[in-house]
Amino acid sequence: MKKSKKMLAALLALGMAAASLPMSAMAEESEKITISVTGGSEDSMQLNTATGSYLNGLSACRHLFEGLYKLDANGDVVLGQAASVETSEDGLTWTFTLRDDITWSDGEPVTADDFIFGFENLEAQGGDYSSLLSDVASSYEAPDESTVVITLDAPCSFLPSVLAFPSTYPVRADYVEEYGDAYATDPEAAVYNGPYAITSWDHEAQVVMELREDYYDADSISVGTINWMLMSEESTALASFESGDIMYSDMCPDEEAARMEGNGLFYTAGNNNYCVMFNLGENGNDVLKDANVRKALSLAIDRERIISIRDLNDELGYTLACSGYTNDEGVDFTDYADPWYDTEDYEANCELAKELLAEAGYADGEGFPALTYIVNNDSRKEIAESVVNDWKEVLGIDTITVEKTEDFSAARREGNYDLAYFGWYMDYTDLSNMYSCLVGTENANSFYSSEEYTAAYNAAISTADQAEQWEYYKELEAILAEDLPVTVILHSMSSYLFDDTNYEGLVYSCGNFVFTYVTAL
Amino acid sequence: MQTARYIIKRVLLAIISLFAIITITFFLMNLMPGDPFMSEKASEESRAILIAKYGLDQPVYIQYIRYLKNLFHGDMGTSYVLQKGRAVTTIITESFSVSLSLGARALLLAIVCGITLGCISGLCKDRLPDSIIRVLSSLGISMPGYVVASALMILLAVNLGVLPVTYSKPGGWIMPMITLAIYPTSYLTRLTRASILEVMNQDYLLTERAKGMSEFVVVFVHALKNSLIPVITYLGPLTASILTGGFVAESVFNVPGLGRYFVSSISSRDYTMIMGVTIFYSALIVIMNLVCDILYKIVDPRIKLD
Repeated sequence: MKKSKKMLAALLALGMAAASLPMSAMAEESEKITISVTGGSEDSMQLNTATGSYLNGLSACRHLFEGLYKLDANGDVVLGQAASVETSEDGLTWTFTLRDDITWSDGEPVTADDFIFGFENLEAQGGDYSSLLSDVASSYEAPDESTVVITLDAPCSFLPSVLAFPSTYPVRADYVEEYGDAYATDPEAAVYNGPYAITSWDHEAQVVMELREDYYDADSISVGTINWMLMSEESTALASFESGDIMYSDMCPDEEAARMEGNGLFYTAGNNNYCVMFNLGENGNDVLKDANVRKALSLAIDRERIISIRDLNDELGYTLACSGYTNDEGVDFTDYADPWYDTEDYEANCELAKELLAEAGYADGEGFPALTYIVNNDSRKEIAESVVNDWKEVLGIDTITVEKTEDFSAARREGNYDLAYFGWYMDYTDLSNMYSCLVGTENANSFYSSEEYTAAYNAAISTADQAEQWEYYKELEAILAEDLPVTVILHSMSSYLFDDTNYEGLVYSCGNFVFTYVTAL
Repeated sequence: MQTARYIIKRVLLAIISLFAIITITFFLMNLMPGDPFMSEKASEESRAILIAKYGLDQPVYIQYIRYLKNLFHGDMGTSYVLQKGRAVTTIITESFSVSLSLGARALLLAIVCGITLGCISGLCKDRLPDSIIRVLSSLGISMPGYVVASALMILLAVNLGVLPVTYSKPGGWIMPMITLAIYPTSYLTRLTRASILEVMNQDYLLTERAKGMSEFVVVFVHALKNSLIPVITYLGPLTASILTGGFVAESVFNVPGLGRYFVSSISSRDYTMIMGVTIFYSALIVIMNLVCDILYKIVDPRIKLD
């Protein structure tokens, strides 16, 4: 009996030892967690950094690729694939030395040539951001395998933000040449130099990303696997979040926002603006070229009412820039700059608007010409109709009609409109990005051109001194308040669903979401 | 021989029909305002590069001829927007296999339940089972797919947690299958009921009963077979549509099927995808109609194929 007990004990010990072997091996793996997330549908999952422009794809690129700079756990721009950077005294030449431990997912080292090819490929492909770097850089070269030299047209304080943006990430020329249009559309059609590599892509369903063991910072990353679900319906994303299938969703139906607040729905600065744009070009109606008319129209908009009807935590628009940018003293830029109008007294604004319209020769809206206000979707049409209603009630103008057009972009680009929706979503958290939209007539389509504005903008981006820079930005706001190529109505908030009871460490910056620093609670 | 001649004639007609569909769709598509590269942030230079790259700067008739040439070589081009850069034929092949798998299950469910319930309803005319089935089938026909899908999702996935929300998870096919099957099940139920009621009054069934045949044989062997003609007529287009998926079921349950592309390719102006799914769906409809015509002949040999 004793003998059999001893044997049993020995067997048990042996069994436990055997069982502990795989367990200890698994322990290391179990430190890495698996998360499931969604940021949108398949069409937005564009991983070709030269042509991708959707936030879903750009966010995914931030996990798969890495530029000279990257976002850190606080969302700040820090050096990424570059070990160091030296800037010439005149601020025009930036010399980057690459890290010596960076590789592509096929084991090849990341070289300076990969960066140069990435920059050239960006310009050649014709994506939305094709001129992102060439707008500020006059040339770029790789004197050796680990050095990238970028020469600028003029000093540029926001170059790190541009180089942290996915469009400027390195690209392997051999993969682009082999796959052509199909580059980065399947796991095998690209190699990755970021923390993660795609292991499977079930189109229209999900992309699976696995942490790369040879990524230089892999040990400090907790998320081992990301199941990046591809969803098109907001209600599906919400149901998946509520049922625990996903821990993050970039989508939540507006009608469910109130219910989800406090239950995983977070609001954050949208870094955008929602404006009415006036066509100041040759195709635009002459009436809108009168600054008094534009001022009258701007003053008569009851922004508070629009915001309360939407009930989506929007911020009142009284500067082109939104809130969230503070100086060393903690002052928000929207408080630092002068508001475009009196935000406290709407009634007085209305009286002033009537006077200005009368001065322009359209007292009580008499004789005001018929104008068309174009928008491109139903929610923007609702806001436009509310604005037009204000103009009718306050100014007596009943000749402006709102039109939702399928050909909105072309109409605005070609100047075939009188008034139009305009909204600018910043790509990176640098105020210069907001003001760049009205430099020249290229992007904005208001056909506004102001030498004074362009000079102040160039002066602002040429200095690294924040106090000096803010003075220029303040000047830009004052110029816009006077010229009014657009009038700001509101700044909408970005919102997302995040399971903060089980996870922390999400980085959310200008609509981009990064899970690299997420940890389980 | 007659059947073979009929099939050859129908195939030739199908080719002409498809050619007409391709031509009409191509030119109508180009009449739509906008283009695939309508991004608000794109500069003029960027747009020009893309438009030239895909040959959209050429006159429409040249684009049309080039498309036809490529099509004859089995090349439908690459998607401009929805799966940018991927071959349309690959996208259709991948997504159709998903829709086919899901649609076949939904079709089977609809045929089995629809015909069974229709028979029960017809045989129990004006009694309680008939009333219940008629109410349920009316409900199934009138409820929009979006409501069915949302109700299933909220009840079974969110509240009870017994099924996953998305298709890719284990058991994720059940809710989209039910969503796809509800309307055709209800319609087939009503169709079979009406057909059974009409056949049951025929003289030949009276003769069979007089000959002493059991009611089961009378109904399920003789009556049902002859009442299936209108059902088969409906099954042709139903099969084509259900096998190519459904916009609602696929969108709500995140099914990577073909159905979503019928709508999304148009709204995104993905020209090559619009053409690809239109040609594929049209070909499927033509084939299914032909199969149905041949099935008529099998079910009722008196029907002449001409």
